[in-house]
Amino acid sequence: MKKNKVSCKEVMLHVCESLGEELNSPKCVTFKMHLESCTHCQNYFSSLESTIKYFRQYKIELPDESHKKLMTLLSLE
Amino acid sequence: MEEEKLILDAKNGDKKALTELVKKYEQTIYNFAYKICRDHDKAENAMQETFLSMVKSLHQFDGKSKLSTWLYRIVANHCMMNARKKKPSSFVDLEDDEGLFNDKYLYDASMMPSKDVENKELREILDKAISKLSPEYRIVFTLRDVEQLSTEETAEITNLSVPAVKSRLHRARAFLRNELMEAFSQ
Repeated sequence: MKKNKVSCKEVMLHVCESLGEELNSPKCVTFKMHLESCTHCQNYFSSLESTIKYFRQYKIELPDESHKKLMTLLSLE
Repeated sequence: MEEEKLILDAKNGDKKALTELVKKYEQTIYNFAYKICRDHDKAENAMQETFLSMVKSLHQFDGKSKLSTWLYRIVANHCMMNARKKKPSSFVDLEDDEGLFNDKYLYDASMMPSKDVENKELREILDKAISKLSPEYRIVFTLRDVEQLSTEETAEITNLSVPAVKSRLHRARAFLRNELMEAFSQ
């Protein structure tokens, strides 16, 4: 008999892989249905998105000195 | 000016065009190198080596892939070469799914603070978490999730298969998320 239910762990694994990916496959639809009714997985999904957002927003500015050194090294102005 | 024209002019020896290309990508390359090397001097060195390589080999650039993809590949290779000098035991082992996807990490999502990333404490937490990832995982996570390149571009840059990129990515995401949740719960 085909197993329709999925565990939170399966959803967690799948959600990780699927962020930013196509979510229209039948398997994904099953996962999304689970996600809609499972608070644990909603929390997991939300915290995963926040994690990515933090790292995305974290920028390291190029110091002026490093820019000047690079231009000198390449003999450019 | 269009990038294609800049590249063509730079190939023909136009220093102004070359300067524009360097200025266009230096921030991106330094930012990426820093996130992989976790050190200013190493990131600066990786950036310099990347642009020296670009100047030297620009005539070979055929435009089949984006210039940015080409530059990411050079800087990623440079960072990986440096990273191989470091002991593998300095990093976490992410091969264990059981440890990564464990119910003990099912915290309330509201524990994620709504802090700005300019916040020093939050930056320290982010630094500490990503420093534990081996460069192989760090590169995939940074290219795919931070720089927002496609899975295919990430695979091209890292010489990995698409499934391997996805596998490393979901482990890196889960590990970083767990580290942040642990830090915020304290």
